[in-house]
Amino acid sequence: MIEVSEVSKHFGPVKAVDQVSFRMDPGEIVGFLGPNGAGKSTLLKMMVTWLLPTAGRIAIDGHDVVREPLAVRRLLGYLPEHSALYEGMKVDRFLRFMGRMRGLSGDRLQERLEWCIDACDLKAVLAKWCRECSKGYRQRIGVAAALIHDPPVLLLDEPTHGLDPVQVVAFRDFLRDLREDRAILFSSHILAEVVAVSDRLLVINEGQLLADTPVDELRKEAGDQDLERVLLDIVQAGRKTATAGEGAKA
Amino acid sequence: MSSLADHLPSWRPVLLVAEREVAAIFDSKIVHVCGIAFVVLASSIFMNEFFLTGLVDMSGFFELLPLLLPLFVPAISMRSWSEERRVRSIELLLTLPIRSVEAVLGKFLAGLVLLAVMLLGTLPIVVMLIVLGDPDLGRIAAGYLGSFLLGAMLLGLGSFVSALTADQIVSFVSAAVLSFLFVLAGNERVVPVLDGMAPSLSLGTLLHDWVSIAPHHAAFSRGIVSLSGLCYYLGVAAAFLWACALALDWNRE
Repeated sequence: MIEVSEVSKHFGPVKAVDQVSFRMDPGEIVGFLGPNGAGKSTLLKMMVTWLLPTAGRIAIDGHDVVREPLAVRRLLGYLPEHSALYEGMKVDRFLRFMGRMRGLSGDRLQERLEWCIDACDLKAVLAKWCRECSKGYRQRIGVAAALIHDPPVLLLDEPTHGLDPVQVVAFRDFLRDLREDRAILFSSHILAEVVAVSDRLLVINEGQLLADTPVDELRKEAGDQDLERVLLDIVQAGRKTATAGEGAKA
Repeated sequence: MSSLADHLPSWRPVLLVAEREVAAIFDSKIVHVCGIAFVVLASSIFMNEFFLTGLVDMSGFFELLPLLLPLFVPAISMRSWSEERRVRSIELLLTLPIRSVEAVLGKFLAGLVLLAVMLLGTLPIVVMLIVLGDPDLGRIAAGYLGSFLLGAMLLGLGSFVSALTADQIVSFVSAAVLSFLFVLAGNERVVPVLDGMAPSLSLGTLLHDWVSIAPHHAAFSRGIVSLSGLCYYLGVAAAFLWACALALDWNRE
């Protein structure tokens, strides 16, 4: 469903993403973990065709993001970082606009609208302007917009940012319910959140993929140890390998 | 094998973007102020001249517009892409299944709607002239068409500039300066000066004939709807819109 092969993104001399490869299948929830500035958002932006890779190839359901961007975008639901919305639109009009832009109309649009409003619990803010909504609601409006066309691939950039603890738990359950036949990749910098909902964990730091491991295996490996400690070891080992590699090149 | 139709804009997303933009434009207080200021300023300057000359004619009004539109049209276009970039909604829009050129055309269409409303706001002048005398309505219609095309061209220019910056003020000032260059390049005082600077090149005449809006706008104001004028305005507008779409795609790299 998603194939990322040797993908790099350079901004001048800065390697924001450095030769990252992984693949994802339908029905899988993958957590993309890394500190701020690790390259998570850059990689997601390349997957949604917003940025072009400097090198490598990304394909969604066989469609190349560079050669067939429209075909890729039709398959994707995307929640950008910072939940950017059209501030000057009312929530119901915004969702309707997003649905129509996704090619929905008539009964199908109405059906999907009702589903999204119900699933994301947006009834209370439908008549409000987007600019009047709280951070939590804005995030849910963004998720509803990403789901409006029932996409087979869902990419969420820091989806729980701004949600309160109750909303975070509800969101995890919501994400699990969405998984059927859908590939879901979401980024976060909070380990507990990623582990709670994902089948697999991708750890990225300084643009490099340091680990691609099933969450169950990580738990087994950790045993009695703290998961965070195990993860920190992975990150530090990755740093050492990268430094050794650069030393060898020099 | 891809056909030509695969590369042409699809009208559904264009119209959807235009519909959203029209609502956003009419929701903007700056645009309201600019629209009203344009109508009041253009009408009052014309009325001043009308009372002095007493002619039932709108030539003075149309001669005035190349000085007003480069100020007011960038005020419409400045928000089109700069605002999208500032609030980061551009990422949301351009990751929808829509080509950059379709989004550009949608916003351009919405700008044209506002431009038309601004020009329609000056129609009471025409009504007044009809009541007071027997104006040449064909000539007035050609003048309005020329002014609308001039506005469309400046809107294309403004959209392109707006795609280059997230700062609306920078977008407004840059678009206004560039718009005035298109106007001043054909000014009767500027042309001889430029010709004098490089007599072998006849730079002033060259700019007047090929770059400036002056000869085309003058023709429309006299009631002449020329093919060259139509091609000039539509061609320059299309070139800027194309450049705008390229600039948006270039930002992805």
